[in-house]
Amino acid sequence: MKILVVEDDKTVGQYVKRGLTEAGFHADLVGDGAEGLRLSTGGHYDMLVLDLRLPALSGLEVLRTLRDRGEGMPVLVLTAQDAVDFKVQALKMGADDYVTKPFSLEELLARVEALGRRPKAIAPPLLKVADLTLETGSREVRRGGKLFELTPKEYAVLEYLMRHQGRVMSRTLITEYAWDYHFDPGTNIVDVVITRLRKKIDHGREPKLIHTVRGVGYVVKA
Amino acid sequence: MQTLRGRLTAWYSGALALTLAAFAGVLYVDRRSASYQDLDQRIQSEASLTAGILAESYRARGTLVRPDSAQRPVLIPDLAALLEAVPGFLVITARDGSLLFASSDARALTFQQVEQLRGLASAPPSGRSSGTLRLEPNGPRIHYVVQDVTGAGPQFGAILAGADVRTAELGPDQLLSTFALVLPLGLALALLMGSWISRRALAAVDQIITEVREITDGRSLHRRLAEPLVKDELGRLAETLNQMMTRLERSFAALRRFTADASHELKTPLTVLRAGVERAITTPNLSQDTLATLEETLQEIKRMTELVDALLTLARADEGIAPLHREPVDLRGIVEEVRETGELLAEESGVRMEVATPPEPIVVSVDATRIRQLILNLLTNAVKYTPAGGSVRMQLGSANGRVTLSVADTGIGIAPGDLPHIFDRFWRADSARTRTSERPGAGLGLAICKWIAEAHGGRIDVVSRPGRGTTFTVTLPREPSATNP
Repeated sequence: MKILVVEDDKTVGQYVKRGLTEAGFHADLVGDGAEGLRLSTGGHYDMLVLDLRLPALSGLEVLRTLRDRGEGMPVLVLTAQDAVDFKVQALKMGADDYVTKPFSLEELLARVEALGRRPKAIAPPLLKVADLTLETGSREVRRGGKLFELTPKEYAVLEYLMRHQGRVMSRTLITEYAWDYHFDPGTNIVDVVITRLRKKIDHGREPKLIHTVRGVGYVVKA
Repeated sequence: MQTLRGRLTAWYSGALALTLAAFAGVLYVDRRSASYQDLDQRIQSEASLTAGILAESYRARGTLVRPDSAQRPVLIPDLAALLEAVPGFLVITARDGSLLFASSDARALTFQQVEQLRGLASAPPSGRSSGTLRLEPNGPRIHYVVQDVTGAGPQFGAILAGADVRTAELGPDQLLSTFALVLPLGLALALLMGSWISRRALAAVDQIITEVREITDGRSLHRRLAEPLVKDELGRLAETLNQMMTRLERSFAALRRFTADASHELKTPLTVLRAGVERAITTPNLSQDTLATLEETLQEIKRMTELVDALLTLARADEGIAPLHREPVDLRGIVEEVRETGELLAEESGVRMEVATPPEPIVVSVDATRIRQLILNLLTNAVKYTPAGGSVRMQLGSANGRVTLSVADTGIGIAPGDLPHIFDRFWRADSARTRTSERPGAGLGLAICKWIAEAHGGRIDVVSRPGRGTTFTVTLPREPSATNP
């Protein structure tokens, strides 16, 4: 899938481009609205990641012109304005989704994937680590055939760790995923969830699957 | 005298009353002295006239005096009859001081009083004299003139002409009573007129007040007052107010631009930082030290992001442009949603957590994201300031068209002196409430809670007893109010 990133800030643009490329997309970057409009007309790209504040031609104008020309590709808007009416305005003009700066790369990728209608490639319905399985459709978690009752937060934390199994996930990233991106409890609330998860999943079983990385966060691996 | 109109009317009427009183006083004094002069002239001419008649008659007839039945000398009868026509008191004495003639007014006096008059007339005057005296006992005050009689024969001494002073005072006194009648009437009229005039004059001011109030409610700053063509004081006032509103509008626009610019300028570098750290932290095979450092950095970036967000939210709220995205929601759903988070927070601090929700749905049109933020803020605070072993209780209820949500803790409480300030931005209580690990931006939490409650047309209240605990209560109207569309 080819994605055009229109972003005047070079550093942000480069990160978005690199992040998309690493996630397996083909991404190009342009720095102003007029150029972005020119390139995105004519069906070269499958998706547009559009910053709203651009030199020459604002993001909203690019968006309106594109839609007027009948271009129907999905558009993900990047905005520094978290005012609801601004987002509503962008959505009304034909944007499909938005991400508020500063965004997490993970959030951006998740939204791009959702817009590209490829959720299954990234999130397989069944996550598996050793004998622990997590079914994303039915939200059922089993180990060795035993079904666990997990609370919403326990489920979210476990799903996140299993999705990135083998990788150390920091507390901040886990918090952002399981709560919303703007919740900051100021305490290590994740630790409490992990303690509960261990009681349910690892207690009295071998091998232990949830591991602590001191000062950083947690990793799920066999 | 709360209004300018009342004060103006009082000032007018006071000034008018003073003017009228002064006018009445001057007029009265003037009239009185003129009356006295008239009286003086009248009795002088009476005296002269009498002297003239006596001299004339003497030349025509010779003797004017003859003895009466008691052998006392008196004026001849036809002359006496002639002199009766002279009004007031007229007394003529002989050279030896005896009474030759007394007018009917004088004869009506008591003997003692007549003697007084005779005494005045017989005191050897040098030509002519005048004066005022009271006739004793209890007689009238009279003004008199004494004049020598010459050319009327050797028997005559002097003439005394006098009049009751009251006759001179009658005119001015009447004037005074007329004033006493007219003055209150005039004053009442002045009050009415003054009130009417000032109402008319100030109606334009009232109009300006109404218009300015409409304009400055935050959404109509582009409007201006109608400026009258006549540049009188009110015209200049309207003009000045318009200039002020232009400057206000400009600075509001500048603030809005600044807010947008600041959000962009601050958020872009934060995005860059965040993307960099996020990429780095997911690099395989990093040492644990590096990972821990990156995690700390990520945490700080997140805190800074929250701070920027909170500041911008409040800045927009001040401007009245932080909009709510309202939808009908069952508040029990939001409470249930945050319940687990609250329980996790409580568990970590060793605090007991209770949640009470009513059995029936409480559907209110609110901005669910903001309400969730509000509840989470209150819960986080409650747990933070409650020592292990305490409890936090969250309760949702509905009564009288209002929804109440309270978060009560058994924590350290807030000093009474601090209570009025806890909703202020960046305000920190005494050291008991300030932890070394206090997060940046935490000073904005309650300010934002207050804004969220008020933006929904509700309010937030706090009751606290140091050492016993604190209860925050959020009250929201069930029907969305028109204040924040």
